[in-house]
Amino acid sequence: MPRPIREMVTFTLDGREVTAPESTMLVDAALEYGDVEIPVFCYEPKIGPPVGACRMCLVEIEGVPKLQAGCSVPVKDGMIVHTNTPRVKEAQEGVVEFLLINHPLDCPVCDKGGECPLQDKSFGWGSGISRTVEPKRHFEKPLALSPLIAIDRERCIMCYRCVRFSQEVSEDHQLVLQERGADTFVTTFDGHPYVAPFSGNIIELCPVGALTSRPYRFRARPWDIEQAGSICMLCPAQCNVSFTVRDERVLRVLQRDHEGVDNGWLCDKGRFAYQAIHVDERVTEPLIRDGGTLRAVPWELALETAAAALRRAGGRVAALAGGETTNEEGFLLQSLVRDALGSPDVDSRRGGTLPLELHRALVAPALQASVPDLQYAHAVLVLDTEPVDDIPILDLRIRRGVRHQGVRLFVATSRPSSLDDRARGIVRYAPGAGEAFLAALDAALTGEGDVDALAGAAGADADAVRRLADGLRDAGEEVVVLWGERLTAGPRGADAARALLNVAARLGLAGRDGAGLLEVPSAANGRGLREVGVLPNAGPGLCEPSAEGRDADGIAAAAAAGEIAALYLLHTDPLLDQPSRRAWGAALEKASTVIAHAAFLTEGIAEHATVVFPAESHAEKEGTVVHPDGRVQRLRRAIGRQGDVRGEWQVLAELAARLGADPRVLTASMVSQRLFDAVPFYAGLTLDEIGGRGVRWPEREQAGALPTAALGPFALEAPPAAATANGRLRLGAFRSIWAAPEVAASPALSFLRPLQRAELSPADAERLGLRHGERVVVASNGHSVSALVHLRQAAPEGSVFLESGIAEHSAANLDGPLVEVRRA
Amino acid sequence: MTDHLLFSNIDEPGLRTIDVYERRGGYGSLRKALATPREELIETLKGSGLRGRGGAGFPMGLKASFLPKGDMQKYVVVNADESEPGTFKDRELMQKNPHQLIEGIVIAAYAVDATISFIYIRGEYVHQADVLEAAIAEAYERGYLGENVLGSGFTLSLAVHRGAGAYICGEETGLLDSLEGKRGNPRLKPPFPANQGLFQGPTLINNVETLSTLPHIVELGSERYAEIGVQNSAGTKLISVSGQVRNPGNFEIELGMSSREIIFGLAGGTFEGREIKLWFPGGSSSPVLTKDDLDLPYDFDTMAKAGTMLGSGAIIVVDDSTSVVDVALKVATFYAHESCGKCTPCREGTSWTRKMLTRVKDGSATPMDLDIMASVQERIIGNCLCVLGDAMAMPIGSMIAKFRGEFEDHIERVRAEQERAILAGVSG
Repeated sequence: MPRPIREMVTFTLDGREVTAPESTMLVDAALEYGDVEIPVFCYEPKIGPPVGACRMCLVEIEGVPKLQAGCSVPVKDGMIVHTNTPRVKEAQEGVVEFLLINHPLDCPVCDKGGECPLQDKSFGWGSGISRTVEPKRHFEKPLALSPLIAIDRERCIMCYRCVRFSQEVSEDHQLVLQERGADTFVTTFDGHPYVAPFSGNIIELCPVGALTSRPYRFRARPWDIEQAGSICMLCPAQCNVSFTVRDERVLRVLQRDHEGVDNGWLCDKGRFAYQAIHVDERVTEPLIRDGGTLRAVPWELALETAAAALRRAGGRVAALAGGETTNEEGFLLQSLVRDALGSPDVDSRRGGTLPLELHRALVAPALQASVPDLQYAHAVLVLDTEPVDDIPILDLRIRRGVRHQGVRLFVATSRPSSLDDRARGIVRYAPGAGEAFLAALDAALTGEGDVDALAGAAGADADAVRRLADGLRDAGEEVVVLWGERLTAGPRGADAARALLNVAARLGLAGRDGAGLLEVPSAANGRGLREVGVLPNAGPGLCEPSAEGRDADGIAAAAAAGEIAALYLLHTDPLLDQPSRRAWGAALEKASTVIAHAAFLTEGIAEHATVVFPAESHAEKEGTVVHPDGRVQRLRRAIGRQGDVRGEWQVLAELAARLGADPRVLTASMVSQRLFDAVPFYAGLTLDEIGGRGVRWPEREQAGALPTAALGPFALEAPPAAATANGRLRLGAFRSIWAAPEVAASPALSFLRPLQRAELSPADAERLGLRHGERVVVASNGHSVSALVHLRQAAPEGSVFLESGIAEHSAANLDGPLVEVRRA
Repeated sequence: MTDHLLFSNIDEPGLRTIDVYERRGGYGSLRKALATPREELIETLKGSGLRGRGGAGFPMGLKASFLPKGDMQKYVVVNADESEPGTFKDRELMQKNPHQLIEGIVIAAYAVDATISFIYIRGEYVHQADVLEAAIAEAYERGYLGENVLGSGFTLSLAVHRGAGAYICGEETGLLDSLEGKRGNPRLKPPFPANQGLFQGPTLINNVETLSTLPHIVELGSERYAEIGVQNSAGTKLISVSGQVRNPGNFEIELGMSSREIIFGLAGGTFEGREIKLWFPGGSSSPVLTKDDLDLPYDFDTMAKAGTMLGSGAIIVVDDSTSVVDVALKVATFYAHESCGKCTPCREGTSWTRKMLTRVKDGSATPMDLDIMASVQERIIGNCLCVLGDAMAMPIGSMIAKFRGEFEDHIERVRAEQERAILAGVSG
């Protein structure tokens, strides 16, 4: 759907002429274009259309007898508006007076005090005199609305932003208003705690102190704190955040509204996992293994130990970079491994690499959709990803598009999606059969090829595939495919990527504004790491490397075979992040040196690392990252590094220097500059230009410097058929939003730490005689994990889905593709 | 006395059954309407001068003409929530002559090309809902509802939906939200229901009495109907008279009749030896009138000129044996209880007013509280999302303005009594 183009109109505001885009709501037009603040409480356009409930924004419009709510009046040409006549002042004073009748004056002990819209508006628009002597209403307070949020109903002014958020933005439908009139109060529908992935947003939406953060409660007053803007690095969504800092500690994370990234929302992981920065478990000093245990050592010893081990290993070094690695760190790492040590073995993906041609094709500027495109497209296809787990904030963006812009949503996944009930069409295919599904879709779009056979190979319903093809073709020109990187993992990843490019080609997405592909990388800076050359078959800027190396799977195999002496793990624990635990267990066991940058001693690090450098938290880091839509964003240090932590770019540079390849960088910004010079399509970027809003490189002129690649359509090989279940079940793995060491380490979030559950269809459960909540053993090839049965109505028959990325009983323990599920 | 239209044959036994209704010529207007082009039918409704009978008095034909033309799902919704205190006319209409309403609904739906209709009836009207259900079943059976009504090709479904007991669900947008299964809160307007009503579709929403009038307009033709009544107040109106009168009840009058004739003629006047202190001309939400206003003609424009409104046509008579403080407290308590809580002035203003009046009643208020109370009403009126706030503020404001002396005397008297009681306690 094309974005609305608005003409400018001129209206009169308090006697001055103001020009603003047509149909802008008066309060916005007045503030942005006329520098006049019309006070509001309930109005919050990012929630949805205005509701006109609080009546704070009453203004006088000539020719209209009654005062009008400025939040809901679109400006028109020639409109004459008065915001400060005695009549308006009387009405606004009245609303402030009404709001304060029942509002407790406990500002001195209220968390909101000092940053409270009600205080500000009372001061600005109230009369300053109270005429009421009546008793105020009373509620029990404060209550825990959830483990994360406290509710004080006495302070509530009933703007119901929180309820609207729950009903219309996150669509979890948990918060409601009960009772009516002055007895109205906010609660959950069934009285259960409000637990939802985005619940924390209501704290920021609340214009009073009725909803407060339990982890932040009474930790600081506004005059104790400073705000520091940066980027959240806990998932690929890379939401723009603002850290609340007091005495070099992060006390809170707030949204930093960016329409192109997050629309001003955060998930609860991003909002509350800051606690992991300041926990005792965090590694804040260098460690080396000594007699079987890791012990703290001075930096010099750690650096020299690492350098010596790397020197010894020479070309038999391999490196993996995890998602929290910045572009700069990735750039230095690949340079350390390639240039200083002469090894080509470096990777940042899980489950194998793709041919370089395909890496280039998938980031081709012509094919890149942006985040706002999800909201304004004619149709969105969610493909092999669960946004709420993999890139949470885009779940909200998709819902917004469906609700407000009439986007037609289609979902094609193995595992049921939380977006299913908003979708016009759903295709379920066997776990891992994304390639066959795409081949079927390709055939349905071209009308050539055997859709039935291909859909059969994917374990999907051929008619559903055909309906999807029709739906995508008929929706309109602008189609966005949001696809998960896992689609292209594994030995057939390249074939899946070609099938994906075929679908994009059939739909004509290349070069079309508002349409394209949007990848959900498996790691937070997955895209950036590939672009800066942390790939076995690509150097910085996706150029040809001097020598092609092994990918992650190859490294694991080589290490297990004793061909690799030293492993360098930058922000990754392969036991958690890589698909096969056993392959990596063997690799780590065999490698004589394992150097890791880690914030937490997760299993693989704790048992196998020989040198551990403390990792910076994302609040301590400097550098750049690349958003999945190509936006280069800048991380800025919000707090001093905790303990003995050093800048990781410094550590990498220092090691390179000790190994005889000194990169000669003295500051973080010098590394950034070196990087921008090395990647042709970043050429000319500066940190100033990136600033607080980022720069989408595919939109820059220099994007042409990306080596071109064929975008298809390609002739596809026949995809292999999904395994036949034969009484067993196909194994699908997923990683939930809460499967992260930061979640486990944050006291406030630890109640959300996932326990293994086996998601099954009711039909399979019945066949196996299993009930919801029952403990089962899931086994294959002699390996097994324990899980609780979790029935999902929309789960496809013949498949079971298990959580990966967790410490115990992870799906990564199992080989698949088929597993047995039996009662424990 | 003019001819009865809506109430003709109202007390005939069995009128609620379709046989009797048909025998009395029922559904004849529907046949006539279905043979008329839609545009012409809407012109007839416009020309009749019929104004909505629910309270706001908006011209019905004009409202029907606002619905967009074209191929989309449109709805007719009948507001049978009849929640305004003092109003009980729709109850009698639905209970005794349900087919008249159904016929009106089908005519209206045909006129605006709606194929789905609902009657939203207040939950307390259990018996009336049963009567309607039975009548609707009969109408389906005879082909007045359902597929291809009377062979015209027009299709209409009709269902009864019972409310759960909220005054606010008589407000049209609150009613629509409630009908959609949501909390019954009024919506921001625009968009008006004619453009985006039920489930976002164009919706014609009218009161029971308004729609029950349609068969008569079609039968008489717009010109003859418009001749009944006075300028800007065409037709007959059902009046519910209650309060301290000898003969309370529903009456059908020609608009423009003198108020005195209604209260003293039809309703039998006050009880012996009592005088009218005040009367609500259009339900509890209308500003009150006094005995000096009894000779005003009872029509829309005259009532508006007198600073009040004809509203739903519910006259509540209060005689001089009743304290105005009690009346005001009763009204404020009702509206504070019924405020939905969505917008600030209504939610807080009604409850504050109730608390102040409680203090007036028990003598702990001062005359200054009366000033504050009057100013609070001013700050409510016109500033709310819907008219519920005004529905309290207007009558309360009018009572304070017209009976201030009585309020002050009451405070003074109660206080003096309390003082005496205390002194008696001390001396005893």
